[in-house]
Amino acid sequence: MKIDKALISRLEHLARLELSDEERETILSDLNEILEMVEKLQELDTDDVTPLVYVNEDVNVWREDVVKDQVSQEAALSNAPASDGAFFQVPKVIDLKS
Amino acid sequence: MSNSIYDTYETVIGLEIHVQLATASKAFCADDASFGGDPNTHVSTISLGHPGTLPRLNKKQVEFAIKLGLALGSEISLYNAFDRKNYFYADLPKGYQITQDRKPICIGGSLEIEVGDTKKTVRIHHIHMEEDAGKSMHDQDAPHSLIDLNRAGVPLLEIVSEPDLRSAEEVDAYMSAMRRLVRYLDISDGNMEQGSMRCDCNVSVRKNGATALGERCEIKNLNSMRYARRAIQYEFKRQVDLLESGGKVAQQTLNFDPASGITSPLRDKEDAHDYRYFPEPDLPPIVLTKDYITAIEANMPPLPWALLRQFIEEKALPLYDAKLLTEEKETALYFLALCAHYPDSKAISNLVINKILPYCNEMSLTIYEFPLSGERMAAFLQLIDSGKVSNTIAYQRLFPAMLQEQDKTPMQLAQALNLLQTDDADFLTTLVEQVLAEFPDKVEAYRKGKKGLIGFFMGEVMKRSKGKAAPQTTNELLRKQLEG
Repeated sequence: MKIDKALISRLEHLARLELSDEERETILSDLNEILEMVEKLQELDTDDVTPLVYVNEDVNVWREDVVKDQVSQEAALSNAPASDGAFFQVPKVIDLKS
Repeated sequence: MSNSIYDTYETVIGLEIHVQLATASKAFCADDASFGGDPNTHVSTISLGHPGTLPRLNKKQVEFAIKLGLALGSEISLYNAFDRKNYFYADLPKGYQITQDRKPICIGGSLEIEVGDTKKTVRIHHIHMEEDAGKSMHDQDAPHSLIDLNRAGVPLLEIVSEPDLRSAEEVDAYMSAMRRLVRYLDISDGNMEQGSMRCDCNVSVRKNGATALGERCEIKNLNSMRYARRAIQYEFKRQVDLLESGGKVAQQTLNFDPASGITSPLRDKEDAHDYRYFPEPDLPPIVLTKDYITAIEANMPPLPWALLRQFIEEKALPLYDAKLLTEEKETALYFLALCAHYPDSKAISNLVINKILPYCNEMSLTIYEFPLSGERMAAFLQLIDSGKVSNTIAYQRLFPAMLQEQDKTPMQLAQALNLLQTDDADFLTTLVEQVLAEFPDKVEAYRKGKKGLIGFFMGEVMKRSKGKAAPQTTNELLRKQLEG
């Protein structure tokens, strides 16, 4: 697989990022190098190896259904770039009328 | 034009129902999961998506999912894993939704529905656990959208059906049956107005008799059965018109606007979501044992179809009564509890359907809050059955009196209000003679063979006795006078 400009632009969209042309060039070559390394790794025969998803072997780490550890509204909003004291304010994200 | 082109097509519908679970806390953190609350108060560092926080699964979500799966006859997966579904939206602070993409908890199963007199089995593809997103409001603050994260992380089950539904009516029946089931299981309140149950409809059309599926469109977030019905009907016409005019249906995600009644593209295929699912490393897998599932199975509440069958077969109720009584589990169990006090199940059914349910509705009570005890209800029915109070009088006058004066027995009340039927021959003979004297022509007609008039005479005597005349004695007296 080869990373090209179209894919970079797709990734930018998915990540909601906007890169400069310069940054695109850097990212393009970085990603290609990473993929080359992955391709190298893929030469290894892993047919008998189960994929590792979890770093330890814990299972059923769950909790009882009890309400706790909530934070206040004030605390919740305190790190937000914009709020009206009750809601988070974000740029308008929908235009259904089009 | 009786044969419209639309009659040559059929609609094929598959449903994805999202059910919000009635847990106390959220799916992967311990925030309050209840509906409402001031904005952004049911939140924590986890639901706000702060870096360095770790999710932890609510045990109850697993239990509820298994209950639903068992009720639908699904296979329960012993190995469960979670995945991240990645997308950016302001009401999803983590940037991904935790869901089960590869290993859903329930596989297969089915639900029987009824449209008119036709029964149909709708197959379930799978049920998986996931979490809800927050709520966005777009029309309250001109330059902004407002975000409330109280709902972010509330546990959901997504029930994905096979494309087995063929009409808006069937969708309606399926949603209603599913709503009844989740309420019976006590895993959700099934409240569509508050969004506890929402559905996405996958709609396609094909020529009658065709077996291949047409290209489908997904209509998102239908939060009432009425909208779902209208959206499906609109979409059917739109797709048929498109095909008939030589066009092709494009796979799309659609939004339904209830105000205009039309669907419009939410996103096109070119912009189709690329969710980049991958295993959620923060949540270790859930490995269930057969014993764990058996224990849940042993504590399953009665299911609506089992009670319906029991009411018809064991209690000998008509289908109409049985359906009404099993609509809500509480009503059904209340009926059964009354049956323990009194042997005539049809009389109890009448009382529940005609008096107790309407009273509770009017007073906004749950049936368990209905103030009269089973013993009092049994005594009431006994008075009717033994002929001491007529059915009409009992329903119209004694029942309300019992609600007014709860310290008196039904018998005491019937006596105090002078409602007891009388077979006092002197009293009844007087009334009979009055009636016969008043309608000589009818007496004449009866004697000439119009025996059906006996009902008329009975009615007249009953009226004069204010409903208290014992029917059998009255009938005998009338016949004696008329024929004697």
